[in-house]
Amino acid sequence: MLQPLTVVLLVASGVLALMAAHHLLRGRLVDDPVIIVGAAIELALLVQLVVGLTKASAIGDGAERATFIAYLFTVLLVIPATIVIAVKEKTQWAMGVVLGGAFVVAILVARLQQVWSLNA
Amino acid sequence: MPEPQRQSPPDSQPESHDESQHESPHTGHGFGRLLVAVYGLLALAATGRSILQITEYFDRAPVPYILSAVAAVIYLVATIGLARGDRASVRLATIALSVELVGVLVVGTVSALRPQAFPDKTVWSHFGQGYGFVPLLLPLVGLWWIRRTARASAASAAEVAQSAD
Repeated sequence: MLQPLTVVLLVASGVLALMAAHHLLRGRLVDDPVIIVGAAIELALLVQLVVGLTKASAIGDGAERATFIAYLFTVLLVIPATIVIAVKEKTQWAMGVVLGGAFVVAILVARLQQVWSLNA
Repeated sequence: MPEPQRQSPPDSQPESHDESQHESPHTGHGFGRLLVAVYGLLALAATGRSILQITEYFDRAPVPYILSAVAAVIYLVATIGLARGDRASVRLATIALSVELVGVLVVGTVSALRPQAFPDKTVWSHFGQGYGFVPLLLPLVGLWWIRRTARASAASAAEVAQSAD
């Protein structure tokens, strides 16, 4: 779809996962850097949504196109949900949730790229 | 391990009339947050996938797709039950998790024996292989967690009763 954007998103999710793992081990809770990286990822996901929607017609198969569009929207929910949960939780499980969220974003971005490359 | 510093004002939780509220174990706190997050994610994934399967190609395999939708509802019930964490919700979550465990075992076995009946991956077919076997492990972890919080809250209730004597 848009290779550089996918790479940026995967790297950014990796960075968020590393920060979360670091905080988890140090027993730290959500802080500004975590939220800023999360927000940056969310912004990039919004760019991906716009790019994806404008290019979606290149996917011929209707069901595959629906899957692609559904993934574009679903991936937007993950970071806000994990940050909300993490802010509420006052033990190191907060960072467990962020770590899991970063992992899920990476999987969904990879899946999007896969659906795109198989069908467009 | 940093202790949770929770200064919840008494009116923040309407149902906090039992005095051990701020210290009592809750299925939706601590490790439970991760569990709720994972259940929420599976609920989302199963709902999305079953809507797509039912609207786009229902005729291909109606039974697995209906099972997919059933799984989605069960994940939703489990997510809400664990997140709320009161007695009735936890009981509901326990039922949902038990059904889920039986479902993934039965559907997994059937799909292994008769793969032609399950042309597409669904959450429960092949023991949740398409989702990294998470659907198989999750009900076990969830039931363990419910049991653990129930025991811990029974213990803390006994402590409260003892100190009241």
